[in-house]
Amino acid sequence: MAGAIIENMSTKKLVILGVILMLFQAFSFMVGGLIAPSPTAAVSYLATKCVDNEKTHHKNPKWFTPWGPDQCSKIKDFDEAMVKKIEANNIVFAIHIPPPNTEMSTWFQFLLLILHFDIAFKIQNQIADGASITIDVRLAYRDDKLSEWTQMAHSVEQRKLSCNFTAAKTIENEGRLYDCDLLPFMELGSVAHKYYLLNVRLPVNERKKVNIGIGEINDMRLVGIHQNGGFTKVWFAMKTFLTPSVLIIMIWYWKRITQMTRPPVLLEKVIFALGISMTFINIPVEWFSVGFDWTWMLLFGDIRQGIFYAMLLSFWIIFCGEHLMDQTERNRFSVYWKQVIPIVFGSFCLFIFDMCERGVQLKNPFYSIWASDVGTELAMAFIIVAGICACLYFLFLCFMVFQVFRNISGKRSCLPAMTKARRLHYEGLIFRFKFLMLVTLACAAMTVIFFIISQVSEGHWLWGGHTVQVNSAFFTGIYGMWNLYVFALMFLYAPSHKRYGDEQSSADQAGNSGEDTQLTTTITHVDGPTEIYKMTGKEAQE
Amino acid sequence: MFMHLEVYYYAFILMAHMKTCCGWSVNNFLMTGPKAYLIYSSSVAAGAQSGIEECKYQFAWDRWKCPERALQLSTHSGLRSANRETAFFHAISSAGVMYTLTRNCSLGDFDNCGCDDTRNGQRGGQGWLWGGCSDNVGFGEVISKQFVDALETGQDARAAMNLHNNEVGRKAVKGTMQRTCKCHGVSGSCTTQTCWLQLPEFREVGNYLKEKYHRAVKVDLLRGAGNSAASRGAIAETFNSISRKELVHLEDSPDYCLENRTLGLPGTEGRECLRKGKNLSKWEKRTCKRLCGDCGLAVEERRAETVSSCNCKFHWCCAVKCEQCRKTVTKYYCVKRSKRVKNDNASRRKSYRLKKKH
Repeated sequence: MAGAIIENMSTKKLVILGVILMLFQAFSFMVGGLIAPSPTAAVSYLATKCVDNEKTHHKNPKWFTPWGPDQCSKIKDFDEAMVKKIEANNIVFAIHIPPPNTEMSTWFQFLLLILHFDIAFKIQNQIADGASITIDVRLAYRDDKLSEWTQMAHSVEQRKLSCNFTAAKTIENEGRLYDCDLLPFMELGSVAHKYYLLNVRLPVNERKKVNIGIGEINDMRLVGIHQNGGFTKVWFAMKTFLTPSVLIIMIWYWKRITQMTRPPVLLEKVIFALGISMTFINIPVEWFSVGFDWTWMLLFGDIRQGIFYAMLLSFWIIFCGEHLMDQTERNRFSVYWKQVIPIVFGSFCLFIFDMCERGVQLKNPFYSIWASDVGTELAMAFIIVAGICACLYFLFLCFMVFQVFRNISGKRSCLPAMTKARRLHYEGLIFRFKFLMLVTLACAAMTVIFFIISQVSEGHWLWGGHTVQVNSAFFTGIYGMWNLYVFALMFLYAPSHKRYGDEQSSADQAGNSGEDTQLTTTITHVDGPTEIYKMTGKEAQE
Repeated sequence: MFMHLEVYYYAFILMAHMKTCCGWSVNNFLMTGPKAYLIYSSSVAAGAQSGIEECKYQFAWDRWKCPERALQLSTHSGLRSANRETAFFHAISSAGVMYTLTRNCSLGDFDNCGCDDTRNGQRGGQGWLWGGCSDNVGFGEVISKQFVDALETGQDARAAMNLHNNEVGRKAVKGTMQRTCKCHGVSGSCTTQTCWLQLPEFREVGNYLKEKYHRAVKVDLLRGAGNSAASRGAIAETFNSISRKELVHLEDSPDYCLENRTLGLPGTEGRECLRKGKNLSKWEKRTCKRLCGDCGLAVEERRAETVSSCNCKFHWCCAVKCEQCRKTVTKYYCVKRSKRVKNDNASRRKSYRLKKKH
């Protein structure tokens, strides 16, 4: 790699740049923690039990509304149904989303519904082993309270019941509820309408064993999860600000590269590609979701994230390889195909998995890959293969880092015997590598720490009268941090304009033909300007 | 029949107190006028009823079995008791009201559950749009507190005790709520984790309060504490020092073995008890000893033929096709001891009294 800005920058300037970046970092955390609300909201819905007395209910689907002026004929519990001789096939569970006097908004970005059954224990009507529940569900929407409901989706789905009864199975404990796992129910990739209505039936067919052996159902509960509108606005604003920032530094970086008389080296190309993928993930395409009903926006966001992470992981491998200092000529992508294949293959597996889940949900929002045995096995296979690729990548990366540090130790012992130009060259390599290693480890550690905190904590802290949204701070802070990482990378590792070719003597060139190529790609200043740089040099000399 | 009367009675009491309570202030959770009472009072009555039913279940095999007449008489005649059982009843009723309000909130029975309009201006607008609304349980707690605590208009120690135990009931609902989380995000990873509070079975609330009942705290106030300002301060100070998670009572419980018409206690004579059952808990296995033996009564075994359903074809709800089967069941009851063994009876009574004194 040619002499980068980072080696020629004075200590004062480097500190100033670091402080500015840290201030932006703190600001991005505070935007999430203090301004934005929690990233998501969960709303509990208890399904209303409506009675459908029509015999031909499959021709013109009548919509059952749980409340409001045209609400359905309802029962409180199934004892009431027993008295009125109502059968299981006449029951329709009705859920109106959102709750009364509220309306959904396109700012909510997605709607995820989770299903939970309240099943009562009865000695003579227990849940059979491996029981599966069949759900006939219709989804409708309308955009004002006086319109007719328009059907949006209809599906017959199966979900496997996984229930435990923790108390003793005695007559005394009849009527107590099983402890059932949550079931995935529905995911909408956009919230384009104000009101949604779900009508759910659990049809019984004794001959086909449909919905037989699923116990005695008391209630159906749903939990609706959506992104908070306030968080969406903050997130969009952040993306809109970051896109031109990274784009500008990317253009500047490319101009620096093209101003060189030599063609760009592999590492410079990879850094540029990283900038492109960061910009791709930054572009606020989501603004269109506020105006258009594009259900594929979630999937598109996943793909962009996948591309960025694949690019970042590849960059780390290539950066290590280009700093190996082992006399091998690299600067070609083909040298790294062994290490890059796990990244590509792992990303591809996750992409296939995402297509099988979110891709299918574009057509059928009630689809879940975990609902069937084959789907579960396929999903687990993809995830396991991706995990194995991740482990392989990690091993490769650790091995390369080990190699770099080993070679650094070897070079360090030879530094005093080198000519001035060669010593400055290797000192530059060592400094560049150590700096990036330190920054990368700090960013990765920060990401992992905040991920753990967001999993464990309540989601918000009370801080001297202010409520700090930890989860929102995590999202905006980490997102801002990686943007700053790419920004600093492109700025500090851009080729330096300072040239001191006259320093190289012809005798050195002739005498060390093995290192000629690496040497000629490095043009460094005679005096190491930064204190860190000088300390590194002194340390190397000792 | 008595259940319905109890429900209407409770609702009537609520409405009567609401109309007469001059301290009642209308806030944003309530609409003005009688419509607000109608909207919430049916849920409040249903909640109180569920509290009563849970009380009966929890004390089914106790000497005091949560009788309705005793409670009615206590409320009516002004001979309100302030013992451990009263404490439990107030807590479970308050919990039942809060539980039912929270549950009906999820059904969509009320407008603006959890969404406070005034802070954000628009109805269901900015608050809901920006950061979502609070959990329904907060709403249930506020309304339950307003309705149930409104019944206590006195300023004496008994009123303070009831208000405290109402609060314990509401804390029991919050304490038993389960925090459930769901991971979602990129490829179903845990990029985002969303959590919410979920109502447990009401049986869990009952079990929780039963434990508190066994460990209830007795408060000793100076005799002669009336309605004076000084004693009011002492009462407030005393109750504030007790944790809001502990039931409190002022009096010891009467002897529930004996019939007491003044207090409306039927006694344990004639009660059914449990013996020799499979899967019975320790408490249930000792029912006959607790209800009969310790009360100086004998246990009588009776056989009866019952007609019950069997060989049913079950669906997940509603009508089922069953056959009718006859079978003989054995039940046990508390009866007076036989007159033949007068000497044994007398000696046992003496030893019983000695135990009571300890």
